[in-house]
Amino acid sequence: MEGFMALLTNPCFLAAAQTEGFIGIDFWTALFTLLNLIITVLVLKKFLFKPVKKMIDDRQKEIDDIYADAESKRSQADELRENYEQKLADAKEESAALVRSANAAAQEQREQILRSAKDEADAIRQKADADIALEKKKALNEVKDDISGMAVEIAEKVVAREINAADQTALIEDFIRNMGNDQ
Amino acid sequence: MNITGPKILFTIPILGGITITQTTLTSFVATLILCVAGVLLGRNLKKRPGRMQVLVEKGVSMFYNLVGDAMGQHNRHWTPFVGALFLSSLLGTLLGMTGFLRSSTSDLSTTATWAVLISLICWYQNIKNIGVKAWLKGFTQPIFVMTPMNIISEFAQPVSLAFRHFGNIAGGSVITALIYWALAGLSSLVIGMICSNGYVVTGVLAVLGVILLIIYQKKRKGVGRIAGIVLLALSAVSILQLLGIFTDVPIFQIGIPAVLSLYFDVFSGVIQAFVFALLSMIYISNACPPPEECLPRKSRKAKTNS
Repeated sequence: MEGFMALLTNPCFLAAAQTEGFIGIDFWTALFTLLNLIITVLVLKKFLFKPVKKMIDDRQKEIDDIYADAESKRSQADELRENYEQKLADAKEESAALVRSANAAAQEQREQILRSAKDEADAIRQKADADIALEKKKALNEVKDDISGMAVEIAEKVVAREINAADQTALIEDFIRNMGNDQ
Repeated sequence: MNITGPKILFTIPILGGITITQTTLTSFVATLILCVAGVLLGRNLKKRPGRMQVLVEKGVSMFYNLVGDAMGQHNRHWTPFVGALFLSSLLGTLLGMTGFLRSSTSDLSTTATWAVLISLICWYQNIKNIGVKAWLKGFTQPIFVMTPMNIISEFAQPVSLAFRHFGNIAGGSVITALIYWALAGLSSLVIGMICSNGYVVTGVLAVLGVILLIIYQKKRKGVGRIAGIVLLALSAVSILQLLGIFTDVPIFQIGIPAVLSLYFDVFSGVIQAFVFALLSMIYISNACPPPEECLPRKSRKAKTNS
């Protein structure tokens, strides 16, 4: 230790310039060190730490906002999609029901039309039948009258005498009936 | 060999002579570098960062996380102070490696100033946060007879903080100086031994060196090649001494101190700066408890401050 201290104080090892003690505190050095530290702290705080921290925080906030926004948008979109799907399903259901009811109505109408057409046709045929029967009857009567008249004329001419008209008519009708039966 | 305190560069003849020492110069240089670098790096910050900004943000958030972990999240506003302290200490140490500046941290004036400042901050924060009464009462804890020891430890704290940092860095520079001195002695011893045997040994060394170089020429990293170069250099220096051109060339001072400097300057500098910053964080965080443990009136004020 003594050797070491001698080494320290040995003039030939000391530099030519004046020096401070190896272990000691110099007031002015301390003051300048303090001032320098304060300046460093203030400058780094104002120009480096605060702005960078603020930038990091801002970016973090922005990222969080974007994520939150995206999340809300996604849930909104999901909701909309569900809504649309529901609506689509409803519309499909509705259109199916519409088609079904339209089909039923058309079927019913068809049957009704068919039925009414058939009824009408039946009515026309019946009427035609009745007309035909009436015409036939008329024609028969006419023919009967004609024939009876012709027979009376023929008989008058043949017999050349006037018989009781009533007897004659009965006779002719009898004849025609027989004739009709023969037919 | 040069183991002294910082040189006094000049004295300003006012106020009884303001001394400007090497430490002051280094301290100013460090401050200047840090301020300029801080302003340049903190400029033009963008939401979409460039490469440099990513690094800067990484560094800054590293400091914030370190302070948050060591001091608690409520003390994160101490980050600029701790960061500036750490960077000042680190740069003050590393500037000593430039050769024309002396490490500011190998001067007790620097480390003691910082340590005392930290103690003052601790005392102020204690009084502000828990009140004078509670702070003074803390000295009698856990039992009354501990009071003298508590007071001593309060003063031992800055002393140990200052001397730890100063001792490590100054000790490193002392050891470096001693190694240079020892290597110079070793050089003159070895060269003297070679020269005392005349040109024969010198010639043999030179031939040996050439042979080693030729043998190990092809190997990329050969110890033999380095040995050959060393032998050749030794013989060359010996010839110079025999001819009387140079004497006592400290040839072993080449290379070897660089490896040691890596430990004593870089590694030790980083570790000591980190330890100093970490201890100051712990001391300050002890004086700044979480807001719920503070005085109600003060805690509200502290919240608005932060």
